Amino acid sequence: MSVVKQKDESKEWYLIGITTGLIITMKHLLVNLFNKKKMITLNYPEEKYEYSPRFKGNHVLTVKKDGSIRCTACMLCATNCPAECITIKASEHPDAQVEKYPISYEIDMLRCVFCGFCEEACPVDAVRLGPEWQTPGLNGSNFTYDINHLAYRPALKGGVASIVDDQDRHKAGI
Amino acid sequence: MLKCTINGVALEVKPGTTIIEAMNNNAQRIAHYCWHPGLSVAGVCRLCMVEIQGNPRVQIACNTMVTEGMVINNTSDKVKDAVKWGLDFHLINHPLDCPVCDQAGECGLQDQYMEYGQYDSEMAEKKQKKHKVVDLGPTVVLDSERCILCSRCVRFTDEVSKTNELGIFNRGDHAEIGTHAGKPLDNKYSLNTVDICPVGALTSKDFRFKQRVWYLKDSETVCNGCSTGCNVKVYFNKEGLFRVKPIYNAEVNGHWMCDEGRDTYKFVNLGARLTKAYQFVSGTWIENYAGAAAKVAGANLKSAKAEEIGLVLTGQHTVEEYESIVSTFVNTFKTKNIFHWVNNKESFESFDGILLRGDKNPNTKGLLQVLEKHGINASWSQLEEGLKSKKIKHLVVAGPENTFVYPDLEQKMQLFLTAENLVVLTAAKTPALEAYKGSNKITAIPLKTYIEKDGTFINFQGRAQKFKKATTVVSEALTLSDAATLMAGQDLQLHVASPREVLVAEHIRADQVHLESRTKNEFVFNRGRL
Ligand code: SF4
Ligand code: SF4
Ligand code: SF4
Ligand code: SF4
Ligand code: FES
Repeated sequence: MSVVKQKDESKEWYLIGITTGLIITMKHLLVNLFNKKKMITLNYPEEKYEYSPRFKGNHVLTVKKDGSIRCTACMLCATNCPAECITIKASEHPDAQVEKYPISYEIDMLRCVFCGFCEEACPVDAVRLGPEWQTPGLNGSNFTYDINHLAYRPALKGGVASIVDDQDRHKAGI
Repeated sequence: MLKCTINGVALEVKPGTTIIEAMNNNAQRIAHYCWHPGLSVAGVCRLCMVEIQGNPRVQIACNTMVTEGMVINNTSDKVKDAVKWGLDFHLINHPLDCPVCDQAGECGLQDQYMEYGQYDSEMAEKKQKKHKVVDLGPTVVLDSERCILCSRCVRFTDEVSKTNELGIFNRGDHAEIGTHAGKPLDNKYSLNTVDICPVGALTSKDFRFKQRVWYLKDSETVCNGCSTGCNVKVYFNKEGLFRVKPIYNAEVNGHWMCDEGRDTYKFVNLGARLTKAYQFVSGTWIENYAGAAAKVAGANLKSAKAEEIGLVLTGQHTVEEYESIVSTFVNTFKTKNIFHWVNNKESFESFDGILLRGDKNPNTKGLLQVLEKHGINASWSQLEEGLKSKKIKHLVVAGPENTFVYPDLEQKMQLFLTAENLVVLTAAKTPALEAYKGSNKITAIPLKTYIEKDGTFINFQGRAQKFKKATTVVSEALTLSDAATLMAGQDLQLHVASPREVLVAEHIRADQVHLESRTKNEFVFNRGRL
């Protein structure tokens, strides 16, 4: 590779550049010291940044009014997932109106690219990408999330209900 | 012959041909639900609309005969509009369960909607509720809401299986498919109704919810369920095989196949298979590679006396394999003790009048032909006697892969286990062997099933049907020919495809660089030294 050096007069006067840089740094230091409210860094983990509610973080499986899982195991999310990280096993539901539900729904979070395509593909608003993004774990197996974790983890306080209501839908005859 | 023009293409058809048949035989697309080439004409779905020159209105193609000089088209806006609103009527009460519906991905309604529909429904009324998940019988589940009342299933039980279980009950938008009281849909061909149902109203209990159809690949092969040799398609993916469906062959099976044949994928899947070779030496089972085990077994046979060796064959392997193993035994091991294991002697010749035959082996004819060619006429009683009197000490058994149709498997295995040195070539797990607690030497070598190899089956008519490998389930398994080659002491010739073979001529770009010409660094070569 050949590098062509540009002979530029202004580049010779590097002292100006260094001083400008130092002034900016000092300005931030002084502002941070005397006016903590304007500080842009956070004392993580005591303080946390507030992300937009639309942030695509860890998945949540939504639940119905009675707390059972909404997902109908149609596998559209798994089909749409570019990372192929969703594994679903479907089964016959005892209620003929529901017909099909997942007996296992697993997302391999280490393969997930948080693109949100699963959320977009879902016809019944059963999978969402939630705002949660801090997910420490001790080893790889901790990152394969199953139904229990996706729908009923403690942080979700018994499950997130969807605004789309099946019962209302059925009553309206749709 | 009658001359007609369909969509601008001049055709000649036999008198008595309907327009839809003429179109179907000449690769013209036409929307239809109720017409099926294997059933009578019902003309109820009103989707197969065509415009005939001289007729003011569109007409259905399935119930209109072609006449001399007819000019037909089904691509005009008038036809498209008729189909579109016909479809809207079909969908008035349709639940659109696609996410939970097993048919999604191969559904007639979805296909036609994408091709002709694409409207917003103009119905404001509530949908009519009907029965869901109705248990029709041991094999089929009905969802009345999804049914479009095309009556194909009813005509099937009426005309093909002749069992008349299904009917349409009630009228208007209450009309539903159902069975007569106390008579479930239970016949040997019931799953054909699932195939011909253009929507997801009839679903197979066996396949229900196992896979979405778009995850499955398919491959054509010959069913190995019985000596009829129906032409079928198997559906599989990397997890294994999931279902079998018939494909049309006028000479063998027409459009149909039996329910038993649809189970022939079960013994192919990993759970039922022997995946490694095992040798039973001095009381314990030792795992081995299939090829290595076959070589050891062959060496043992070579050192044995010719009259002490025996071979048992079933009608479950391909002609090529029989040829290879029989000629190995005749030429290398110099024995003609080759026995034909018949599984169900009593019902061997039976036939149910439609497809099912009593001979539950796909290739009995092939086996008999090969045996005859090599002049072999050993009888089963000779084997029994030989084993009893210890005249036959080394026995090689090429066991059945479809063990479900071998009710005598256990009993025959006990007989074979009396041989001092038993080599069992089998695709299936064999509990009788695992339970063995004796002092005889046993070798179990995994074989490939019909899905995993190329070959030929000769069916009851004497028709040789070639089929190709669909997929691999047990990668270490051998074909019977491989096993014969290894037992004869030779090595397998693995065919390594050259890039030229893989890149078939028509796929090669004109400027494609072949690997050989790349031995020099082409880049440097063209540009000169850097
Ligand atoms: S966010 Fe994207 S990668 Fe992750 S599970 Fe959903 S579709 Fe797959
Ligand atoms: S989460 Fe949604 S898209 Fe995925 S299987 Fe369940 S219902 Fe289908
Ligand atoms: S029959 Fe077809 S359109 Fe109806 S729910 Fe099933 S897949 Fe969807
Ligand atoms: S169940 Fe299927 S085949 Fe039978 S009438 Fe209904 S749509 Fe047609
Ligand atoms: S296919 Fe002609 S009316 Fe149904």
